[in-house]
Amino acid sequence: MIAQDFAGSLEEAARAEAWAVEQSARLALPEAARFALSLCVEELFVNAVTHGRAARVRLALDADTLEFRDDGAAFDPTQAPAKRLNGAGDFEIGGFGTGLLQKFARRLDYRRADGWNVVRLAFV
Amino acid sequence: MNMHVTEGHGVTWVQLDGRFDIEGAQAVDLRFSTLAGSAKALGVDLGGVSFLASMGVRTLMLTAKTMLRRGARLAVCGADENVEKVLRMTGFDEIVTLYPDREAAAAALTG
Repeated sequence: MIAQDFAGSLEEAARAEAWAVEQSARLALPEAARFALSLCVEELFVNAVTHGRAARVRLALDADTLEFRDDGAAFDPTQAPAKRLNGAGDFEIGGFGTGLLQKFARRLDYRRADGWNVVRLAFV
Repeated sequence: MNMHVTEGHGVTWVQLDGRFDIEGAQAVDLRFSTLAGSAKALGVDLGGVSFLASMGVRTLMLTAKTMLRRGARLAVCGADENVEKVLRMTGFDEIVTLYPDREAAAAALTG
C-alpha cells in the first residue's frame, strides 16, 4: 500500500487528484477504475476541506482499495443523502459529491478513529 | 483543460478538451460565466473531456441556471460513457438535454 499526506486546501485536492492519476497509471488500472478513483478522491477531498475544515488528509492506495483519512469534522458519507437536481425548476446547486461517491465506489465503509474520518472504498 | 470558443449559424460553440476536475473548472469558470450572460444559444461539446466530477458539474449547472433564467438556449453533446453517467446521476440532464453529437445539438439549438 502506498500512502501520501496532503494539507487541507483545494490546491492540495488538485495535487491529490494528480497523485491518484499517477498511481492509476502505475497500477495499470482499467479506464473505469481510473475514473472512479479520481472521482472519489476529488469528492472526498472537496467535502473534507469545504465542509469538514480538514487540515490534514492522508491517502493510502493499493490495487483495488483507497483509504481516505482526514482530520475534519466527523462526516459519514455512507449515510449522507444523495442529492440530485429534481426537474427544471430545481436550481439548488451543490452537494452532489456524496451521491457521486456512493454511485462510483464499489464498496464504501466509514469509521471515526482518534479524531480522523476514515473512509475505505473499493474502486475496482 | 482547453476551452475553444467558435461562432457558427447563430450558435456559440464551446469545445472542451482535458480533465474537467478542480483545476479544469477553475480554468474555465470565468469564461463560462461571461458566455452564460451573453450567448443566445450555447452548445457545449464535451467530446474531448476524459474526466468530470462535481466541481465541473457545478460550472455547467451555474451556466445552465444563468442561461435558462434569461431564456437563452443551451445544449450539451459528445459526453463519453463515464462523463454522461456523472451528468445523469447529478440530475443535470433534467435541466439540459444531452445530445450524442454536435449535429443533433445544433438541430435542437437552431430549430
